[in-house]
Amino acid sequence: MEQILANGLYLGAQYALIALGLTLIFSLMNVLNFAHGQMYVFGGFVTYTVVAQFGLPFIVGLLASAVTLAVMGALIERFLFRPVIRKSKRDESTMLLAAGIAFFLDAVILLLFGEKQRGVPKIVNGVFNWDMRLIMPYDRILIAALAVALIVSFILFMQYSRTGRAMRALAQDRMAAQLMGVDVDRYSMIGFAIGAMLAGLVGGLLVTITGVNLGMGGPTSVKAFLMIMIGGAGVISGAIAGGFILGMMESVGLTVLAAYGDITYLVIFITLMIFLAIRPQGLMGKPWG
Amino acid sequence: MTQSRLLGVGAFLLGVFVLVPAFIHLTGRWDFYYTLTSVALLSVSAAGVWLTFYIGRINIGQGAYALLGGYVSAILMTQGGVNFWLTLPLAGLFCAAVSVLIGVPILRLRGVYFAMVTLVLTEVARLTALALPITNGAKGITSIPLPGELSIFGLTLIPDFATLENPKLAFYLMAAALMVLTYLVLWRIVNSRLGHLCRSLQQNEELSASIGVNTAMLRVLAYAISSFFGGLAGAIFVAISQSIYPSSFVVSDSVNFMLYCFLGGLGYVFGPMLGTLLLYFGWDLLSVAREYQLLIYSGTMIALMLILPNGVLSLFDRKGGSK
Amino acid sequence: MKRRVFLATTGLTLALAFATNTAAWAENAKLKIGFVGVTSGPAAAWGISNQRSMETRAAWLNELGGVKIGDTTYDVEIVAFDDQKDPKRAIAGMEKMAQDGVHYVVGPNVDDGAAAVRPVAEQNGIIYFPYAFPKELYTPPASNAILGMVANYQSGPAIYKYLMDNKGVKKVAFVAANESDPLSQRDGGVEAAKALGLEVVSDSVTYQVDTTDFTPVLLPVIQTAPDLLVLSGVSPANAPQLIRSARELGYTGLISTETAQDATVLMEGAGELANGFISVGGASTPELASDAMKEFVDRYTKMFGEYNDESNTKVYALEYIIETLKANPAAIDNVEEFKKTIDTFSAPNPFMVGDAKLSYVGTTSFGQKRQVSVPLVVNEFKDGKFETLFVAQVD
Repeated sequence: MEQILANGLYLGAQYALIALGLTLIFSLMNVLNFAHGQMYVFGGFVTYTVVAQFGLPFIVGLLASAVTLAVMGALIERFLFRPVIRKSKRDESTMLLAAGIAFFLDAVILLLFGEKQRGVPKIVNGVFNWDMRLIMPYDRILIAALAVALIVSFILFMQYSRTGRAMRALAQDRMAAQLMGVDVDRYSMIGFAIGAMLAGLVGGLLVTITGVNLGMGGPTSVKAFLMIMIGGAGVISGAIAGGFILGMMESVGLTVLAAYGDITYLVIFITLMIFLAIRPQGLMGKPWG
Repeated sequence: MTQSRLLGVGAFLLGVFVLVPAFIHLTGRWDFYYTLTSVALLSVSAAGVWLTFYIGRINIGQGAYALLGGYVSAILMTQGGVNFWLTLPLAGLFCAAVSVLIGVPILRLRGVYFAMVTLVLTEVARLTALALPITNGAKGITSIPLPGELSIFGLTLIPDFATLENPKLAFYLMAAALMVLTYLVLWRIVNSRLGHLCRSLQQNEELSASIGVNTAMLRVLAYAISSFFGGLAGAIFVAISQSIYPSSFVVSDSVNFMLYCFLGGLGYVFGPMLGTLLLYFGWDLLSVAREYQLLIYSGTMIALMLILPNGVLSLFDRKGGSK
Repeated sequence: MKRRVFLATTGLTLALAFATNTAAWAENAKLKIGFVGVTSGPAAAWGISNQRSMETRAAWLNELGGVKIGDTTYDVEIVAFDDQKDPKRAIAGMEKMAQDGVHYVVGPNVDDGAAAVRPVAEQNGIIYFPYAFPKELYTPPASNAILGMVANYQSGPAIYKYLMDNKGVKKVAFVAANESDPLSQRDGGVEAAKALGLEVVSDSVTYQVDTTDFTPVLLPVIQTAPDLLVLSGVSPANAPQLIRSARELGYTGLISTETAQDATVLMEGAGELANGFISVGGASTPELASDAMKEFVDRYTKMFGEYNDESNTKVYALEYIIETLKANPAAIDNVEEFKKTIDTFSAPNPFMVGDAKLSYVGTTSFGQKRQVSVPLVVNEFKDGKFETLFVAQVD
């Protein structure tokens, strides 16, 4: 039992961090960023290149991922999303753009980093073993702790910094924020950059444990969508809750339903659909996001 | 106005049924038959997605119905010995029926929530196909016969495909005919009272409900028609590949259907048809670019979106207003 | 208005240019061999290693002056098509091969694609070499598909038998991704294990291919305490993570799979935890590789920057096609001639030391010879390299 809970918490921490960036972008610009998973993969590959190819310390790789992705996010917002949002008649049109960017990043990743699964060596060795009841390798504990630290600092940033407040205002009511003198363009760009940076950071963190390969992008985006749906689209606390809930569901579901074999994920997905049908705005979301 | 429209329709039919086959015979590019057949079938499916867009719902679940339709047709043919031509409408109707059951609860959702639930639906369909015994699970259904003869009172309307010298052409004509019919129906819907009501749903659901439109009924109806199209397309694909697996239609297919609609233009009935042609055919033509195929493909997609964010058909939009 | 016309005309010109450009090359004395497989997206690794080994070998042969078939010397040209792991695209790819006059195609890489292209291949006289295991592709009345590797229902029993006899394995557990290919392979493996008298303690646990943490997946499996954990049809991306999670959960038994893996990927992903991992490989372990195989690896590395060990099992299909054509030049545009040659064909295997032969097998599994005979090399991973555990032959 302890093991199942610990697995769920570990999964939840990494999921929540992935969902945070996505939900930030969604709340600011009403854009469902299909390329979020690809950004995550890109971040993983940057860390891999810095650490495994250039032989630099892990923290440098992590920073390189964060910076690369933040710049990429800012550029994507400025030169792609902004003009399209301005010109298109229906909000949803950005989905095609996002999907195009996702394909494009897939192609770039394949050309730059190749088709193989990549990973960097463990940063800490050893396994924590509590009497065979709870087994958790130290590197996982470290990564989970780092993820939680990142989540907490992100919340503090959003809550207390000037930029964070401006972005929250923007998310609540774009028009009102603009009238109150918030530079909408500037903060949209910063928000997108931060969202992309978070994706890159998770990629960098997880490359030490799960590794990274070019196919992970699409499925990661889909999983992140699920999390923000559970929690409520565009709400920060919702994304975190969604991440932990999905993590727990997988951990518990896989153990409880193991005997029934192939239907484990079927049950998880159907449960999700029923939940969303009953509570369309997720746990904490605004209705009709 | 009506005269020019008739002329346009005539030119289109001429192009699809005469010029394309003539072009293929002249150039000898026989492989275009299959590609264009795919385009026609995928655009039938995409037409359904477009219809759900028309009531203001982002549908990323059409792959589920294509898969379902494919399985219904495959199972009826291999286990029931039913003629393909009978399984085709049955597959569509079965999908429509299922979509009513699923649609009633989930059509209350809007925006990204509806989009995500339908996305999950595609994955649910795949996992269900893997788990059920009747679908033969992971091993799929293979060695499905080609479409048989269709005759009424001994009069052969459509010959047995297995006896044809060129089943490719037959499949092309069938798919093209289906596409023409589908878009005729779609166009009719949009320009009828029903289409009017759908548009009111797209713009403001509460308002249209308040003036007495039965929104729930309307939504389910549109979704059922949409799924019907998906099922038809799936069933024909099964007939072409003579096999079906749980992975025959997956999440990326669902996403693609949606992208076809976007690219063509959400405000135009013929948008999904053009979008399918550009994206699907474009990918095939780009295979000469080898490892840069995906790069060029996605780059073009992004560029198109930047130039024409309202779809390619907005190019021909003189007044600048949506239809 | 101007922009409209401009866009429309450029689009049209481009489309026409693409359409005519492919037809213009048709006259050269080239031997076109096709490849239809997945070279983008999640499963890209399978197709890319496949396509690259074909291109490496083709470039090498052309450098040597081409291949002489009958009285004509041909340059080998690889025509590749990315099917995106979509069976519908795979059909389009096969149609394109027929259009280009290609009669011999390697691929597709997965079950659904291989089944979907069958009608096209049979109508257009194409022999294809799938890396997919469904038996109905190779058993009569099907006759145009030739299995390009050793199937899991052939390698599985050999591995289990070896491990029973040499490592005292009694209890076995299976894990597979919830997709067609791995699940079919798992079912085949379970059947084989039961036939050998092994006790199957767990065979119902599955995972999504996009899983990022395998600890919850493996927890219930490890609790059944097997001696051998079989990762059925595991993709090279998932293998290191599964191994790592199993070891970190304290599992000490054996781990094996029937698919080909890459040593670098295992080393990076699981490090020394992957030691002892048993997988199926080609002939590139130092004990078995001939000089030709070593040169192949060198050339591949030079051409593409890095070798992929999965290619060890994928060098063979092209070699079989060319050697069979040499044996019967009439088969060059007539696959019926090719099928006649299959029964008697035999040539030396250039990639392996000793006097190994290339020939067609499969009578036991399919009732006709529809499989290339490649040595079943079972490898054990040790400190970043594969070591040969044992070698067997399939009939």
